[in-house]
Amino acid sequence: MSTFFGPLEADGRVPPRQQTRVAAFLVSAHGALARQFGLALPARFEAAWQTELNAQFYRESEIVSLLMRATIWIPDFALGPMAASWEMAWLPTPIDGMTDHAHAQTIHLATLAHAVHAGIRPAALMPTEANANDPFVMALRRIEFESSRLLQAQILYLKGPDLVPFRDAVSTALERRHAEVRRLWTETLESIGISFASDTKP
Amino acid sequence: MPFLSHGSYRIRYELDGPAGAPAYVLVNGLTQYSELWGAYRDALIARGFRVATFDLLGQGISDKPALFINQDDHIAVLHRLIGELGTGPIFLSGISFGGLIALRYAIEHGERLSGLVPMSCFAELSPQLLLIGNALRTGLILGGTSYLQDLLLPMNLSDEWLKPLLDKLDSVKRQGWLVNDVYALQNLMESFLDFKPLTPQLSSIALPTMILNGEFDFLTPRALHETLRVEIPNSALVIIPKAYHAFTLEKAALTANLLARFAEDVMAGHWQGNKQVLIASEDPGGALVPFPEGYDHLRAIPVQRGAT
Repeated sequence: MSTFFGPLEADGRVPPRQQTRVAAFLVSAHGALARQFGLALPARFEAAWQTELNAQFYRESEIVSLLMRATIWIPDFALGPMAASWEMAWLPTPIDGMTDHAHAQTIHLATLAHAVHAGIRPAALMPTEANANDPFVMALRRIEFESSRLLQAQILYLKGPDLVPFRDAVSTALERRHAEVRRLWTETLESIGISFASDTKP
Repeated sequence: MPFLSHGSYRIRYELDGPAGAPAYVLVNGLTQYSELWGAYRDALIARGFRVATFDLLGQGISDKPALFINQDDHIAVLHRLIGELGTGPIFLSGISFGGLIALRYAIEHGERLSGLVPMSCFAELSPQLLLIGNALRTGLILGGTSYLQDLLLPMNLSDEWLKPLLDKLDSVKRQGWLVNDVYALQNLMESFLDFKPLTPQLSSIALPTMILNGEFDFLTPRALHETLRVEIPNSALVIIPKAYHAFTLEKAALTANLLARFAEDVMAGHWQGNKQVLIASEDPGGALVPFPEGYDHLRAIPVQRGAT
């Protein structure tokens, strides 16, 4: 099992089966974020930080749009149950010690977005011989780059002064989210013959 | 691949060389990973040392805390690793960020060490270093790990090293880019936000200490190493000719030789720091010569000490 996509096709493209499975996972994760950011958007902004919410909503939507168009999709009958398990995982989970529902919702969204943006590096799956001019290759590079920019909003919020009283609970919730997203990502990659590098630990 | 535990996190380490031999522990710089010490491992083992390397918490194959890394975590991890090495002589060396960790370890647990080698190091953030650090962090945030590497490579390595690699820099950067995640590097960099100068505590380091500084180190220039030399009683400052901040990558044979000779001198009772300023040879194994008497080693042009 390789830690990269492949074996590549003759023109340096990622095999369609791998494209389909990885793009489906990313569409599910970023689509969930887009929906949740969309739901959190007020009709009229009252605070400066809500402009960032707007940006996050549109960037997540852009990632979904990009993947829909850049991926070579093929029929994949295993996707149904996999997608169902992914969608369940993106739902909010209780945060220990957090009784304020609105606060908990915001932390949920920030921790999920942090785990997706920080923990999933699709461009790192690309072998050096991949065709740099292929749309799927370009799309994954763009998604990874954009994710590290989007991540900054989650870092600012989760490390910010508002959450200092809840630091332990937030850290625990975030580590749990990272572990869950990493598990799903690892399983997805393993299902197409890719071993996740961090999962080589004993 | 062995791992140490630090709370719920796992730290990847490697221990090579004969058990019971004097040990060298090597601490990575910010964007490094333990494989980069390969040449040191070979050279030091050939000289009869045991060598311990590891990926810092948040780095390489070690676990990466999602949100916070405290500098105390690095000291605790290092203490666990050194605890694995038995009771023989232990020499500790680190570069840049890793040098700072080594300094702190020597301040807090100096009794466990036989010698210390801070390389391209600092005990306080000068205004230049603070601003460069902030700019590098912004570069990481805006451009990712690859852009941070683009900034660091020309700043920290010589033209001679870079020139033959100009058309294959992507492959030079690739492993560092693969194993280091943006959020984890950012956490490591942000562990500096509450950095307290170590200068007032340096005089408590009673260990033999060899401070290594590249002649052309732009990131941590001579003045930052001078603080270490002046404050650590049994220290000597060794200037590596024609070297930049990352001389451990560029001049591995020379540096490994210096590390081995230092430890051998200490164990033989020959080391005398005397706060000397020395110049290393350009070739491994060459003699260390004193900086010319009467001249100011903090200047880049030959100015006599005391002259304005």
